[in-house]
Amino acid sequence: MPPFPRICILGGGSAGWMTAAALASKFHRVGADLTLIESDQIGTVGVGEATLPHIRFFNRTLGIDERTFMKSTEATFKLGIEFCDWGKKGDRYIHPFGDYGLPVDGLDFHQAWLKLRQAGKAHRIDDYSFPILAAEEDRFKIPEGDVNEVGSNFGYAYQFDSSLYAKFLRGFSEARGVKRVEGRVADIKLGATTGHVEALTLENGLQVEADVFVDCSGFRGVLIEQTLETGYDDWSEWLPCNRAVAIPCESHGELSPYTRATARTSGWQWRIPLQHRTGNGHVYCSDFISDDEATAQLLGSLEGTPLAHPNQLYFKTGRRKKFWNRNVVSIGLSAGFLEPLESTSIHLIQEGITTLIELFPSEGVNSLDVDEYNRRMGLNFERVRDFLLLHYIATQRDDSEMWRHFRALKLPDSLEERLQAWLSRGHIPAYEFGVFLPPSWLAVMMGQNLMPTDHDPRVDRYDATDLHQRLEAIRMDTRAAVSATPRQADFLAQYGAASQSPRARAAT
Amino acid sequence: MTQTQNSIAIIGRGLAGNLAALALSKSLGADWRILQLGTSDGPLEDSFYGRVTAPTAYNFLRSVGLEEPRLLLGSATTFSLGSHFKHWVGGASWMQCHHSPLPTLATAPLRHQLTRLKLDLEPLLVSAQVAKAGRFAHPPEDPNTILSRAEYGYQFDPMEWAALLDHDVADSTVERIESEVRSIETSDNGIASLALENGDVITASLYVDASGPGRQACLAVSAGFAGDRTVSATTHTAPASQIGPACQIVEATPEGWTSTTFLQNRTLDLSVSSYSETSTNGDSYLVGLGQLETAWTGNCVAIGHAAAVVEPLTPAPMMMLQRDVERLLALVPSGVSMDVERREYNRQYRDDIAHISLFLAALLKSDDMPEAGYWREAQSHQPDERLERKLAHFEHRGLLVSYDLEPFNEEDWTILHWGKGLRPRQYDRTADAMIDTEASQTVAQIRQSIEQIVPRIPPHGLYVTKLKQYLERLAHG
Repeated sequence: MPPFPRICILGGGSAGWMTAAALASKFHRVGADLTLIESDQIGTVGVGEATLPHIRFFNRTLGIDERTFMKSTEATFKLGIEFCDWGKKGDRYIHPFGDYGLPVDGLDFHQAWLKLRQAGKAHRIDDYSFPILAAEEDRFKIPEGDVNEVGSNFGYAYQFDSSLYAKFLRGFSEARGVKRVEGRVADIKLGATTGHVEALTLENGLQVEADVFVDCSGFRGVLIEQTLETGYDDWSEWLPCNRAVAIPCESHGELSPYTRATARTSGWQWRIPLQHRTGNGHVYCSDFISDDEATAQLLGSLEGTPLAHPNQLYFKTGRRKKFWNRNVVSIGLSAGFLEPLESTSIHLIQEGITTLIELFPSEGVNSLDVDEYNRRMGLNFERVRDFLLLHYIATQRDDSEMWRHFRALKLPDSLEERLQAWLSRGHIPAYEFGVFLPPSWLAVMMGQNLMPTDHDPRVDRYDATDLHQRLEAIRMDTRAAVSATPRQADFLAQYGAASQSPRARAAT
Repeated sequence: MTQTQNSIAIIGRGLAGNLAALALSKSLGADWRILQLGTSDGPLEDSFYGRVTAPTAYNFLRSVGLEEPRLLLGSATTFSLGSHFKHWVGGASWMQCHHSPLPTLATAPLRHQLTRLKLDLEPLLVSAQVAKAGRFAHPPEDPNTILSRAEYGYQFDPMEWAALLDHDVADSTVERIESEVRSIETSDNGIASLALENGDVITASLYVDASGPGRQACLAVSAGFAGDRTVSATTHTAPASQIGPACQIVEATPEGWTSTTFLQNRTLDLSVSSYSETSTNGDSYLVGLGQLETAWTGNCVAIGHAAAVVEPLTPAPMMMLQRDVERLLALVPSGVSMDVERREYNRQYRDDIAHISLFLAALLKSDDMPEAGYWREAQSHQPDERLERKLAHFEHRGLLVSYDLEPFNEEDWTILHWGKGLRPRQYDRTADAMIDTEASQTVAQIRQSIEQIVPRIPPHGLYVTKLKQYLERLAHG
């Protein structure tokens, strides 16, 4: 049996340390040799401060204690995302982590709801969703008990400071044998026959050799692009936003267990409440707005005093043509970029890591593994892309150049077919591999005023009074479960996850 | 005859037609008119739905009123823990059993430890061992009992189930017309009307072709049947005083293959061989394997054998029929335009038939095949990139490549690969985190707990007999 391959991770942001922690956790008992190179001089982007419920599985697999993790990263709980001004100005809805209502004899809840709505007897669909109602009232609890009951059939994620998460995982990784090397890459040695990356020489003269390199160097893609020239599929045609400006601010009042994404004239703005401060950013398209104006829009709508100077970011939406090329696997921003509208940045890192572990080249790089990795990650990226695009095209807005651009856009066939299936009968084609399940599609389409003209005829076998009674029972149970749920701030304290630090205040 | 906007005409009274009629009548309200056309004898080819179901059939059958007690008391149905392939191509014999997700040892899936330790899989599959010992008991819910890992379907006679359903349809809201279709009038939208032998003319908003491989209605509006090959089938029934094992036995023969299924009072044999090499025999019939490229054309949906015929070597034909009915129920058109429903139905149909065909192709694939016609023809598929990927990755490192919503699950594929003798060249190195003796002991414990439980499980026949007695007492208060 050959020795376990030496692994070098280039870059120490959230992608780098998540990769290091997961590979160390998985492989340290079989003698993996892991090195992570990072430089204190290179900043990290840390766009993805909000996550998806899958992150809990990631942390649990690593054996990370939830309370310790939350205290260390100033984390809050997240029940979903509130979208403001997307369908039209003044609209708002929450995309929750969980289903609406409960199935009616195996039929999708929303079909029964659509029928009642046509009869004028339905409440807003949000009133049948525990995570939405709880989020609206800043309440939170951990889902426990029967997943077939309202009040338990939801998921949750976190909102955290990703630089603190990286730091937390650094401690975790180093305790499991990951060597951290400080420095910037000065030279890269390629194998003469294989074209594989063989060693990185740092500015301080240190040389790091490895068999497998994970490129977590961010947008630059030092290995995957600058060295191997892998190429990039530009998806700006669908998702033209190409810049962001980010700034943290003071937080006041209740701690919201949800992220907010507010549509703007030329992009959208995020608000992510952490325990000690609030993260904000404006994602926009430079064709439609200047940097100064974008920053002014952001600063003009902060809910608290800024805690730093605005941080400008540049990107191009798309994906690396090969996520894995030769012996280099790109994970994080080096692999591709999709705007964080649905908090997918960290999720795509996680998918990359999980897939790499399953296909890890422990006996040397094999083209089968490379192809399968690229196939799986390609599907993940593409399906997220379509879901993001949905937000821009399921809209009645035409009040700016950007919104008019989307109204004129010819959609990918797969998305067009999804829309038609939804609009005609409330049907959502399902897939197995991809992060967003039918309830997510439903939340966005309904939230942005795409209402089906008809429903599944199978619900017509119930009379409206019977259905009304069933749905009312679900609504009352949901309401009661929410009323019995503590406010998030109280829950954090009682659960033992409240951080010790006071809320950050701007220097006066 | 009259036409309402909400009307469905089902052509055919075999298993597919009856399942669809009953499922539709249970699902749709009184504003729907459901007609079923045809005379009581289902197509002869119904035996090509096979004689075994997968575990997923349980809930589906319940949804149409075929609860387990009824199946046991009202038909000769018995239990099936899988299919026992004996002397298959390449010389392999194994139990293609139904099993819940296989355990993970020290973060590595079981198959990687087995690859590392060069151990066999089958002794660790409780459903395989119980079936091979001729025994059966319902898997308990308690996850601490190893028998809870077994899953089961049924051994059944499709004609019998069709007959059971035939009574139910008669008692349902389905309107039956005891007449065959004589001719079909078509229009731009598909079928305009059906003229029956009895002189009636039927119009409906949607036509469901469940007429079997004759495809009477769908061929009138679509010509897209992709024929694969034709086989000859011979069926044989023998009375049995004792119930055999809880599995179907499938054996390769030089001419093709033979399956034996063990029902309550009889055994059913089915022999399949190449059409070209068949001696004409009174009991034989020919079956064209293949599928429609699009199952739903215009206002006509083909289900069951009218859409696709696959060999009943596994529960595949019943899986496909179940999915046909489920797809239809989920996409009954809500309006006059059926564009959306048709497109979505056909998308799912194409995926399902492709995925099912992958499993069959993997089962039949052999580098060392008999010379006879059947086996030569069975190999003559176009290489499918998706199958090549599955096989190559399993052989390379025991990786299971999956596609969206496949009917056969990861356990089915693992057991198939292993059974056919495919062994990964590499294993997940985290398996090394367990020292050899520890890993061997853990594996030995699984094997021993199975060996201990098997003799305590009753013989399949005794279990069925006792269960029936219990159910009868229950039924009579």
